[in-house]
Amino acid sequence: MANRRANFCGSEDHLIHRRGFLGAAAAAGAFAANMGVLNVLRSQPLASELKRQQKHVILLWLAGGSSQLETWDPKPGHENGGPFRAIETNVPGVHISELMPKMAQRMHTTCLIRSLNTRNADHGGGAELMERGRRDEPTVKYPDLGAIVARELGRPDSEVPDYVSMYTTAEGRRKGSAGFLGARYAPMFLDKDLMPANIRRLEQISDLDHQQRGELRQVLGERFARGRGSHSVDSHNSAYKRVRGLMASEKLFDVSLEPQQYRDAYGPTQFGEQVLVARRLIEAGVPFVKVARGWWDSHGQNFETHLELVTELDHVMSTLIDDLEARGLLEHTLIITLGEFGRTPRINPSLGRDHFASAWSCSLTGCGIKGGSVWGKTSPDGMSVVDGEVGAGELFATIFQALGIDHKKDYYLGSRPIPLTNPGTEPIRDVLA
Amino acid sequence: MTADPNKLTKKLEIGAPGILFCLDKRDDSSVIHCGSSDGKVYTFDLADEKPTGKPLESHTSYVTGVALAGKYLVSGSFDCSLVWWDLESGKPVRTVKDAHARWIRGVKAAPDGSFVASVGDDMVCRLWDAESGKLLRALQGHELQTPHHFPSMLYACAISSDSKLVATADRVGHIVIWEADSGRSLATLEAPVMYTWDPSLRRHSIGGIRSVAFSRDNKLVAVGGVGKIGNIDHLDGPSRIEVFDWQAGERTHEFSHDKLKGLVETLAFGPDDAWLVAAGGDHGGFIQIYDLKEKKAIKEEKAPMHVHDMVLSADGTTLFTVGHGRLATWELKEASA
Repeated sequence: MANRRANFCGSEDHLIHRRGFLGAAAAAGAFAANMGVLNVLRSQPLASELKRQQKHVILLWLAGGSSQLETWDPKPGHENGGPFRAIETNVPGVHISELMPKMAQRMHTTCLIRSLNTRNADHGGGAELMERGRRDEPTVKYPDLGAIVARELGRPDSEVPDYVSMYTTAEGRRKGSAGFLGARYAPMFLDKDLMPANIRRLEQISDLDHQQRGELRQVLGERFARGRGSHSVDSHNSAYKRVRGLMASEKLFDVSLEPQQYRDAYGPTQFGEQVLVARRLIEAGVPFVKVARGWWDSHGQNFETHLELVTELDHVMSTLIDDLEARGLLEHTLIITLGEFGRTPRINPSLGRDHFASAWSCSLTGCGIKGGSVWGKTSPDGMSVVDGEVGAGELFATIFQALGIDHKKDYYLGSRPIPLTNPGTEPIRDVLA
Repeated sequence: MTADPNKLTKKLEIGAPGILFCLDKRDDSSVIHCGSSDGKVYTFDLADEKPTGKPLESHTSYVTGVALAGKYLVSGSFDCSLVWWDLESGKPVRTVKDAHARWIRGVKAAPDGSFVASVGDDMVCRLWDAESGKLLRALQGHELQTPHHFPSMLYACAISSDSKLVATADRVGHIVIWEADSGRSLATLEAPVMYTWDPSLRRHSIGGIRSVAFSRDNKLVAVGGVGKIGNIDHLDGPSRIEVFDWQAGERTHEFSHDKLKGLVETLAFGPDDAWLVAAGGDHGGFIQIYDLKEKKAIKEEKAPMHVHDMVLSADGTTLFTVGHGRLATWELKEASA
């Protein structure tokens, strides 16, 4: 199991980072630009740390596997292309599906990666790979992207959750996993509605009683942990320390507190409301929010399904980009659209498309990304990658670099170093700002 | 010779380019006209020893409706345009570029040759003068969005044998009967089982009414689609037909077939309205024939492809079907000696 202390390599730089950050965080809390924060920014490593900690990720997880041909990599004129046209975007030479007219006008904010070959077209295996950037080993359960971002960008004293995951459709539902990072970085998981379950204090318990119970639990927990050196016990205690802060974040999940004009802008669908909540969360400092929009698995009637779901994605994603931009948050927020795989170029007799992981697409928008860039190319029939092939590892390295996280950084499992991405993995530098 | 639906037999099967979504054929001709996913209209002369499709090129997306109207063939496409073709020269004589604001799903010609009806995902049925191509009227009675805030689709239309009535049917199961001359709505009917909204597992929809037909006496309207689906990733639901006495507003027949799954894409009443033929499919295809008096299936056949459209001859003895990569002809009579 991971040793919390071993997560820090012991170098002078790292000591400065952590000690300085903790001091700054204690003084400043959030990233308000008060003088306490400005003073500590004189320390360059700490400035870098704080800069990273102002970054956020919203992962729009297209569960079940969306079609690259009906989104980011249309193939007009080819029999595999389907009925939707390709349209021009505001980036010369870049075309996307006509189902995304709003994103076409915001392509300057977004980079497309059209050359994913992830070799796993099974829902479970594909999702695990694209959540973690690599396959688990028999003895190592890797944390997913949300847990790593929570670990890297979360603030120890934060009163908001570090990692919120919404997956309200039931098919293929995956909770997410912090792997060897432990429960401290596990997601707050919303699987029923917009409000986290059991976040409110029981009416039978007074606030004082609740606080005192927490303190007693802490004393007992620390006594239990003493001398045991167990990561899971430490992680458990660490998670409990944040309970009262998390309970106070209830209002962030309440879209009725949002002005009507914003609710109208995101639209009436559940996905729209969830993404609005995601914006509220990252605005309040949550580093990582995943909104799973299921279920795209269109073995039959692919075009009808995508007419519904891509139309919704186009609207909600465009609204999110505009909203973040207007609030000055887009440059600090990375929006990722990703699923477990894409869909077969060949159209089956049910007018569906099946699972396909050999040549598919995703998008990155905002923070650290060269907007308007396109990486990779697929063949005219969409069946294979002909240029710039990348896998999950390269995508994750790119995401880490965009957020200012060193993708070669080591975590430690006991004495074993575990780099964030497998050795030799490089980011796609051409799409990084 | 009298048609006998019990004798349904496949006579001919031909590979075809792409997915054939629609066809039309006159009883007095051996030529059939089909619309394909490659954007072309194909004509096959079944009198040829080896019929091959001759392409007519104008559309830029799936051709989803063809209708013979007077001396013209009118085709409609997902490119939103209607094209009038001169049958003699095979050349387009008129193109209405933005006939609909969204995909055209079907085109039908009035039996008297006076007008053509087209339906599209702008949820409008438009009636066009068959000769001049002039827009006669637009019939608007279908919602643009489903109750779940997604774009709806207007899949099907039919014209009565006396050319006086038009029926339209949409994704959520709403049916409207129109008076062609005035554009007045005469009746509305509902077949909501054809539309499956999955609120929890997958949170999108599937289905819709895909076919509509008037009985030959114009008293009944049949609609086809798929029943409720558990797993909407697939067309894994019972094929479904509902028949209405549209003037009384009553459903007279309901056929749901658990073994022949998928969409009923096309419907036709047999002579004297004694039976009803339906075709469609999921990954595979089917043809079903129902006795309307006995309210039971009298024939079920697997088709060599998912069937998207068919034409039944006036005497009910010959059936022409097109679909996924194939066309096939069938006889509904004693095998000829």
